[in-house]
Amino acid sequence: MSQSIAPRVRLDVLWIFLYASCAIIALRLFDLQLLRHEALLKAAERNRTQLIFTTSPRGRIFDRNGRLLAGNRATFSLVYLPPKTEETEELERLARTLASTLKQTPNEIMGILQRALKRGAPVRLAQGIPWQAMFQLSELKTLVRGMNLVVEAERTYPYGALGSHLLGYLGNMETKYLGLLREAEGYRMDSMIGKAGIERLFERDLHGIDGGILLEVDAGGHLKRVLDRIPFRPGRDITLTLDAQVQEAAENALRRSVSGKGAVVAMDPYTGEILALASQPGFDPNWFVELPTEKGPRTRHQIPEFNLAVQGTYPPGSILKIVTAAALFNEGRARPGDRVHCPGYFKLGDRTFKCWRKEGHGDVAFLDAMRDSCDVYFYQMGLKTGGATLERYSRWFGVGEPTHVPLPGEATGNAFGPMARLGKRPRWRKGDTVNLSIGQGGILVTPIQMAALIGTVATRGTMFRPQFISRISEPDGETIFQTKPEVLRQVDIKPEIWDLLQKSLERVVEDGTGKKCRVPGLVVAGKTGTAQNPRGEDHAWFVAYAGRPGEPPRVALVVLIQHGGHGGETAGPVAKEILEAVFKDRAPTGEAVGRL
Amino acid sequence: MPFVARETIRGRMDWTLVWATVALLFMGTLAVASASWHLPYSNHILQKHFLALGIGAFAFLAGLSLNYQVYQDQSKAAYVVAILLLLAVLIFGQTLRGTRGWFRLPFFSFQPSEVVRILTIFVVANYLVHRGRWVTELPVVIGTFALAAPVLALILAEPDLSSTLVLFPTLLCMLFCAGARPSHLSALAGYGLVSFAMPLVWTYLSLRPERTASGLGGFLGSLSHFSLTFFLALAGFAAVLAFLYWFHAKMRFQLPWYYFAALYLVLAGGLSTGILVNHALKDYQKKRFVSFLSPEADPRGSGYNLRQAQIALGSGGFWGKGMFSGTQSQLGFLPERHTDFVFAVIGEELGFLGALFTLGLYLFVLWRLVMAARVARDEFGYLVACGLTGLFGFHLLINTGMTVGLLPVAGVPLPMVSYGGSSLVVSLWSLGIAQSVYMRRFML
Repeated sequence: MSQSIAPRVRLDVLWIFLYASCAIIALRLFDLQLLRHEALLKAAERNRTQLIFTTSPRGRIFDRNGRLLAGNRATFSLVYLPPKTEETEELERLARTLASTLKQTPNEIMGILQRALKRGAPVRLAQGIPWQAMFQLSELKTLVRGMNLVVEAERTYPYGALGSHLLGYLGNMETKYLGLLREAEGYRMDSMIGKAGIERLFERDLHGIDGGILLEVDAGGHLKRVLDRIPFRPGRDITLTLDAQVQEAAENALRRSVSGKGAVVAMDPYTGEILALASQPGFDPNWFVELPTEKGPRTRHQIPEFNLAVQGTYPPGSILKIVTAAALFNEGRARPGDRVHCPGYFKLGDRTFKCWRKEGHGDVAFLDAMRDSCDVYFYQMGLKTGGATLERYSRWFGVGEPTHVPLPGEATGNAFGPMARLGKRPRWRKGDTVNLSIGQGGILVTPIQMAALIGTVATRGTMFRPQFISRISEPDGETIFQTKPEVLRQVDIKPEIWDLLQKSLERVVEDGTGKKCRVPGLVVAGKTGTAQNPRGEDHAWFVAYAGRPGEPPRVALVVLIQHGGHGGETAGPVAKEILEAVFKDRAPTGEAVGRL
Repeated sequence: MPFVARETIRGRMDWTLVWATVALLFMGTLAVASASWHLPYSNHILQKHFLALGIGAFAFLAGLSLNYQVYQDQSKAAYVVAILLLLAVLIFGQTLRGTRGWFRLPFFSFQPSEVVRILTIFVVANYLVHRGRWVTELPVVIGTFALAAPVLALILAEPDLSSTLVLFPTLLCMLFCAGARPSHLSALAGYGLVSFAMPLVWTYLSLRPERTASGLGGFLGSLSHFSLTFFLALAGFAAVLAFLYWFHAKMRFQLPWYYFAALYLVLAGGLSTGILVNHALKDYQKKRFVSFLSPEADPRGSGYNLRQAQIALGSGGFWGKGMFSGTQSQLGFLPERHTDFVFAVIGEELGFLGALFTLGLYLFVLWRLVMAARVARDEFGYLVACGLTGLFGFHLLINTGMTVGLLPVAGVPLPMVSYGGSSLVVSLWSLGIAQSVYMRRFML
């Protein structure tokens, strides 16, 4: 064996090759099993576990008397856990089976299933399944792997459309919001978030933290066992200052009014607490909770989302006569006893301004002029006061300034006067002053501004910020936020002027333009208004405050009826209904009890 | 004197190899039991596994007691049997997973290519023994492959790519140990590499079409058919080599001309074979290439296996998740877990320790095989032991390399650990033969 030396060396080479190769594999094992252990263990856990989220109940919303305005109910959702391997032929069978029960086409369901398969994440096939369908589906659950029924909390609004503009509604998460809310706990792409009103404003408070069921699944998507149940944390409850009865009365009255469209704001003048904030037409926020397929296409732009009470701007009309009178007498430009002759029109140069009553009011002093809302009296007195002073007073009373009511999109309206016109064309002329003195021209106000204004008259000079949140509390009842009254501004007018204004407004309701709003047993003071509308029927205004005799006023109220014509005729009865609801068997307030 | 003979056997046997094998079989049985635990036919698998273990024990004894020189004497018969078995399985065999490679017997299926591999080792060893003096010459090297070519072709025809994949380096290993020139071997290895690398490249290009837009990618892509470009490239390459030869002669280097010719032949031959292999490859085999080249391309498809094996290994960590509690293997995320990916099961459930232990055991068995080759009393025994070392060694490297993600998924089992009756029995038989070589190391 001549070659017996060389081959033995080659054997060593072979051995070294095998040894080195195994060393490389061992190094790779070291890399995988020790260095990359954490990451790969996580991957293995992701493989074997599936988390089905259980939607936590949103915080409830109550009215001031504890009536539930927005709550939650348990519903069943059908959740599909996709298998980790590709098996599409079974999906088609599944889609056909589900189609009849869920009332969707097989293609739609197939699309959802395939997306779930691609993402490898559980998907909700249906939410809010009715009971009958639930029983059919629970049979399916045993037949089809990966199908599960979970109980979830779903938003429900027991009063339906009541306070819809204030409460808002829920909608699906949008990508832009997910980016904003990513840091917050408990948000996912399929979370429902508030899209309007309180639901949107207090989204972070109302949204609880979702719980979940952690499942162990195998490669085929079979459920092996439940690993963990993570309890959800409900959202915080919000108690409103709203009174559901008043709100209901306001909405009903608005619906029954001439046009059926309009706004009502009722608030406690001494605290700014809103008792009712209605805007018609409204909507039922329950519509948004249900799956869109179930009630046909009800897209968002079909919903009357516009909140007239804070977003609608109108000329104040005769309501502004309160401001004109305050400016006139506080500045001492006239005495209340001064008389003005009203022939039914007023000539200024070559222009003629009409009184609303063609035949005129004759000789009128202030109280009569206010009671009958005589325009000519205020034209002349407005000229005496001067445009700049009128504008200053109207700003003082909050015209053109936001009330800072905590609702998104509040309009500020438009203050009108020589200062606002400064540097613009056409220049301010006396005719503009005439218009401004009865609240016409370029002046625009929102209903809630007018509520604050009449509230200021009721409190004799203190304007409170309108608020509707009373308190926010944790689910266990601990209050984490309590609203305090905030003074928005102080209108410093001599007390005798307030007396005069209040007396004149009381007479408006007693036997003037606002007598349709007279409520027996109450002292009601108010002012009607007609906002001229060049594009149709005028808008009807009515502002009022009311209290029991001998007590301070309890409510300040504004009613706006779109295209309602004369304020006293259409808005007055609405205001009356609301006042009756406010004072109907309500328990005496704390201070009243204290006085007894 | 039977008593003395038995004493002799006991005294001369390589007991360390026996114990290492037993330990390896124990690990394998544990892994197979654990991996098949949740399968509906788990009992069936375990029954067959234990049956194969029993038969394997007898096969081991048979291999051990029979003088290995018998195989040298009967190598012609072995060759005929090998060819006949492969032909028979092609005609009468049963198709499992796209491969016509099984005989269905009353109790279990039998895969003749397992036996044929051992028979080929005998035949090649005998050939090399007889031509030992000229092994440094090229004709012997080519002759070796010519001898093995029918077997390789028939196995490829099944088609059983992975068996071929292991047999080719085994033959190279035998030639190397027989003393063939490294230059011849590297030319052969280069040929093999080119013929397997080109399909890989083409698959990669088909995956990333944007690469074919550029110069080199487009050129390589156009070589995947016997097109005009292909022949032009061959001609161009010949011209380049001729120029290089002329140039280096000018520079007064003295390299023989056939170096250049060999380089040309290796490339041209490898390319041509590569085209044939590329056409012969099944879609699923190409997909395995794909998944190796870019596992992200299709994480739910063929890249899935690779990814899941690495997750299984990595999630095992140092100590492992414990026997029967690996989530990857128990819940079915790991595919082929009781066969090709059994190493990942060990890695997941017994951790780095268990995987390293198994690897070490295997390396120990290989060392004992090398030892058997070292002490073999004749050239045939030496070459057979070398062939077996190569066979087991390349099985180990390809299987574990695939499991840890260093090599493409090739469907090569880990002998004695993976589930597979024929493989187990034949492996034990071949270890018995190695024992026979070791035992009869002394000239009697």
